[in-house]
Amino acid sequence: MSYKFTQQSNSARSVILQKLKKQVEGADYDKLPAETGFTYPEISFEDQFTHFVQLLRNNQAKVISTSETELMDQVISELKARDISSLLYGADSPYSQLIEQGINQSGEQVELQDYDYQLTDNKDKLFNHTPASITSSNWAIAETGTIVRWPSQNEPRTMSLVPPVHMIIVDANKLYCNFSSLVKDQNWKDNMPTNALLISGPSKTADIQQTLAFGAHGPKELIVFVMNSPTDINL
Amino acid sequence: MSVNQYTPDRTESKYTKSASTFRQNVQRDLANEELRSNFAGAMDYLMDKRKASFPSNDELETLRDQCKLIKQRALVKLPHLLEQLETKLNENGIKVHWAETINDANEIIAQLIESKGGKNIVKGKSMVSEETALNDFLQARDMEILESDMGEYIVQLANEHPSHIIMPAIHQNKKQVADIFAEHIDDFEYTTDVDTLIGEGRRILRDKFSKADVGITGVNFAVAETGTLCLVENEGNGQMSSAVPDMHIAITGIEKVVEYLDDIPPLLSLLTRSATGQAITTYFNMISKPRQPGEKDGPEEVHLVLLDNGRSQAFADEELRQTLQCIRCGACMNHCPVYTRVGGHAYGTVYPGPIGKIISPHQLGLESTKDLPTASSLCGACGEVCPVKIPIPNILLRLRKESVKDTKGGEGELKGAGSNRKATEAAIWKAWSLLHRVPAMYKVSMWFATRFRGLMPSKLGAWTSVRTAPKLAPKTLHERVKARRK
Repeated sequence: MSYKFTQQSNSARSVILQKLKKQVEGADYDKLPAETGFTYPEISFEDQFTHFVQLLRNNQAKVISTSETELMDQVISELKARDISSLLYGADSPYSQLIEQGINQSGEQVELQDYDYQLTDNKDKLFNHTPASITSSNWAIAETGTIVRWPSQNEPRTMSLVPPVHMIIVDANKLYCNFSSLVKDQNWKDNMPTNALLISGPSKTADIQQTLAFGAHGPKELIVFVMNSPTDINL
Repeated sequence: MSVNQYTPDRTESKYTKSASTFRQNVQRDLANEELRSNFAGAMDYLMDKRKASFPSNDELETLRDQCKLIKQRALVKLPHLLEQLETKLNENGIKVHWAETINDANEIIAQLIESKGGKNIVKGKSMVSEETALNDFLQARDMEILESDMGEYIVQLANEHPSHIIMPAIHQNKKQVADIFAEHIDDFEYTTDVDTLIGEGRRILRDKFSKADVGITGVNFAVAETGTLCLVENEGNGQMSSAVPDMHIAITGIEKVVEYLDDIPPLLSLLTRSATGQAITTYFNMISKPRQPGEKDGPEEVHLVLLDNGRSQAFADEELRQTLQCIRCGACMNHCPVYTRVGGHAYGTVYPGPIGKIISPHQLGLESTKDLPTASSLCGACGEVCPVKIPIPNILLRLRKESVKDTKGGEGELKGAGSNRKATEAAIWKAWSLLHRVPAMYKVSMWFATRFRGLMPSKLGAWTSVRTAPKLAPKTLHERVKARRK
């Protein structure tokens, strides 16, 4: 990086900080007013879960109750319904064995693609030859109908972004009431990952005349498979 | 594919010029019926959405108080938090750059891109990059920079500016968008079907994402505690810009830093609900590091450019400092009767509407923006809906005062203070003040005024263009009260 440019940035840094410090010098942080958050009424786990599913559906996500034995039949049937014969998954990810077995045993002509490449040299493959992906998720948030994913080496972040159909597996036992309690309970501040993603539906936009359109840049469809669902949601 | 036939002509001076011709801009845009109908429809829609997303007034008011205090705490600690943010980001492998002016910021970004040999750049939505007119700057250096937010993309194709900070193409209806596509995109089959139009944008932009060397985005919140950059979006273009190219450059104003990760959930909730009435946006993207060894995607290099551009001037005054609490939700413009009628372009500044009227004077100086604080009926709607309780009407009054102040040209004065001061107006008020302080003079002058009231002209400039001129009473109030007591 050029010398001049770094030097300029350094001098801007000291000028800006000096200007700001001059104004708030000696401010007593102990005297800052107390910040009180709103106390939300307690909601039963079942109600939280129902709300979670409802919000996802309002945002055009397809939500399906599943189990380890049903998952792959359901995945394959969703693929067949869309005439998709290739699925991107992450080897050595939480559900990878289930996915591999399911495809092998089904006898269906579904090609399982592993994300075993560096994106930099394989953009065409991911953008133009990957119609669908399946990933796990870490947690979920009831209040906003949100699925939380910490992308990993095995399930990189673009897996839930680039393929037009994204399938995601959610464990209902990892549902939190709201974002705040999740961040605190899982102590995010001491172990932030490279990238954390909150996903609440398929990609969308209302930028043309406030008319909602799905599949703006990311997935056109989000299919959510819920394990351990406490209530019957397949209605 | 000729999607980038876009001639740069947006320079800093053009913004200055347009804000200083505010009155003409207003006349121009008020006469445009299609534009007015587009804005009226959009603002009604956004106001309804916001209202529906806050069913409990108690919750809304508690959240507003909480978030105001979160932002005020961040501002009191601002220099310290900026240093902490820089340290944390450095530890995480993200490089921080500082810029006092828009030119410095553009220069930093251009040099970063050049260091990568970058030519094709995609940009997620960033109002700060509009502020710096980054597109023109990079295009002048033969770089292709493509807006990837659907609204921004439409605006770029049409060679315009965003007219709203959240919905940049809100001034266009679908027929106008179709016309823009027809003019600029080869082989576009004319349609006004929104799904098809978005599909067309998707097709073109996905191709660009897959070929871009550098992605540029804004930042909604920067967390000092963890060194995390947060992006709020529905489309996925912010993720595309920050995850697919090998270099990610984020640019933001110095006021976007917050102290703790725990500050984020309430701010995020209030931001999306105030902006579009959504419980949360489709994506919330938290970036803390560049691609780590063993990871397969994400940028190898992440940079953050921190821009001042007048913010430190607002910071220097406790009342005006509240301007920097803004989280850029756009609720103030959605609820503003003036914005709804004149639209976002009439203001002639990057940030339109109530918040634009109180930010722009710090960025451009009061001289070219002196009309903006007067473009308000002071109805108070902006202050009432502001999620972080910025007292916008009070700040508008303060800026009006600053613009007519008798300046000494000393240190600590706002850039362009006193530029709206007129000698006659100042003399009239001086005389008024004197009369009201000296009872004898007041009596004599009132006697003359009532006795010679017939001399009062019936045309009083702009006032009488839509009203009849006021008439003085034949006798003063003092005289009449005296007469009654007798």
